[in-house]
Amino acid sequence: MGAKKILICDDDRGIIDVLEMVLEETGHRVITETNSLNARAIIDSEKPDLIILDLWMPVLSGDQILQMIRRTPETQDIPVIIISASRDGAQIATEAGANKFIAKPFDIYDMVDSVEALLA
Amino acid sequence: MDTSDNGKFELLSSSMTDNFKLLVKALDSSVSGIVITDNSLEDNPIVYCNAAFEAISGYPRNEIIGHNCRFLQADDRSQKERDQLRESIKNGKDCFVEIRNYRKNGDLFWNELYMAPVKDPDGNITHFIGVQNDVSKRKAVEQDLRQQKAIMEQRVEDRTMALRDSEAFLTSIIETVREGLLVLDPDFKVLSANQHFLKTFKVNAEETVGVNLYALGNNQWDIARLRDLLLEILPTSNPVVDFEVEHDFPHIGKKLMLLNAYRIELEGQFKDQILLAIEDITDRREIERRKDDFLSIASHELKTPLTTIKGYMQILERSIPEQASEKFTATLGKISAYVERLNNLISELLDVSKIQTGNITLHKADFDFDKMVLEVIEGIGTSAPRHKILLQGRSESTVHADESHIVQVLNNLLSNAIKYAPESLNVEVSVSSVSDFVKVSVRDFGLGMNAEDKKRAFERFYRSSEVQKRFSGMGIGLYICDQIIQNHNGTLWVDSEKGKGSTFSFTLPKNKVQDNGR
Repeated sequence: MGAKKILICDDDRGIIDVLEMVLEETGHRVITETNSLNARAIIDSEKPDLIILDLWMPVLSGDQILQMIRRTPETQDIPVIIISASRDGAQIATEAGANKFIAKPFDIYDMVDSVEALLA
Repeated sequence: MDTSDNGKFELLSSSMTDNFKLLVKALDSSVSGIVITDNSLEDNPIVYCNAAFEAISGYPRNEIIGHNCRFLQADDRSQKERDQLRESIKNGKDCFVEIRNYRKNGDLFWNELYMAPVKDPDGNITHFIGVQNDVSKRKAVEQDLRQQKAIMEQRVEDRTMALRDSEAFLTSIIETVREGLLVLDPDFKVLSANQHFLKTFKVNAEETVGVNLYALGNNQWDIARLRDLLLEILPTSNPVVDFEVEHDFPHIGKKLMLLNAYRIELEGQFKDQILLAIEDITDRREIERRKDDFLSIASHELKTPLTTIKGYMQILERSIPEQASEKFTATLGKISAYVERLNNLISELLDVSKIQTGNITLHKADFDFDKMVLEVIEGIGTSAPRHKILLQGRSESTVHADESHIVQVLNNLLSNAIKYAPESLNVEVSVSSVSDFVKVSVRDFGLGMNAEDKKRAFERFYRSSEVQKRFSGMGIGLYICDQIIQNHNGTLWVDSEKGKGSTFSFTLPKNKVQDNGR
């Protein structure tokens, strides 16, 4: 499998760092962003193969970004994983059109498996 | 009795003899006692009495004729009616008295006496005629009636007083309750409003009492839901309980009210009046909402860094060097375990509501109490290497309890001791066996607490203002500890002095026997 481009958008630097570390180990290219307002521009310019989105972020929430992705013809088929520690996260993610929801705190290797499965 | 010679009258004319006899017969058949006295004789003696007089007085005729009437009063001489009689006789007037008389056998009877003078053509008084009736029965009834009336009056007075007392008492209750109370007449006019109503809705009694409810304060009470309640619901289901109404009042803002209404159905002066109790639950609802928000946010925020820690831990565990020491591997394993426990704690935070309703399930088993204490201290020690935790004493006991819960309590007490005493590095833990309980005390030399903090330390979400300023935290740890110890039938308490540190202690029953089945 060739290297893929993965965008991670989470306002928490720690989560981005740890995800970046394991996902780069698998040979993928990882782009990270903590400011959700920049997500749209990065998606347009980088055209990632998979996007990992946090739900609760300041100003623009994960489900809002996901809706934008799904509304735009060029991006609507990009697989998206929503990660969140909120109790109603699964429901919000499904309604917004996520391919997968993973609750925080997650098993990091389950996360890797989910990423690989969606990229396959 | 032959009464034809009752009197010794000199007859004016013999032709009247027959008429006279008839008259005497008539007098004798009268039920009223009749006497005639001769005023021309000394001491005005009785010269005639009829049969009824003999019956009433109990004296035979021969003991009556020739006597003055006063013998009837026996020794009861001081009656004012006697003066009245004497006066009338002197002045030749008629008079009417009720006087106490006595029969021959000494029995009292009330004599209703009508006395009239008889005058000759020259106006001289020749005789007096007395007509008397025994009115003892009537008198007795009258007296009885008077007495009854007096008793009744006294009773009414007493009852009125009691009523006024209880009314004042009830009023003071109504004025004291922290709930708005209105009494409405059947047309929804306000008959009374209590203090709390006036205070809550910032009005005074003058502008409230006597006004139609809907017209109160520029029609601000003209609320559709309230009309529903009073017009639709109350007539069909009396009383109405906990009816929620939200309304935006022009001056005091949006209020959420819980209304309870009751229409009086008893016959009487209060019939169809309506009692309306208004509880302002705006603040309560807001606090509940904030509590829920708080719990969501807190658990969310706590889980975020935990996710990172857990991720790094997993990476470390996968990349243990082959030559790594056993200690290194064991330490990593321990951190993983504690991270997992932290995650569980946060999940439990979300289940605080479970604690409130007492739905915690205990998984009790026998365990070595001293070993558990040692392990907890060891665990805490690694996370706070600067602090020195000094363990004193042993319980030498096996305890039947939910070990994970007790670990949680001890962990919490130790982390508090470290957290709230950052400048003093010693924490003392003492363990002992007291009767059929084990006892643990955790002593720090930190901030200490004042009386108010001590009282409220175990309340949910309570944080003392000083702690609030200097330390992060949610005010939930001690609440959960207290609940856990209570669930195990033990007690948790604190001894503390401001500035000198605190000692938290708990006891726990050792044996199954103590288990009350919770």
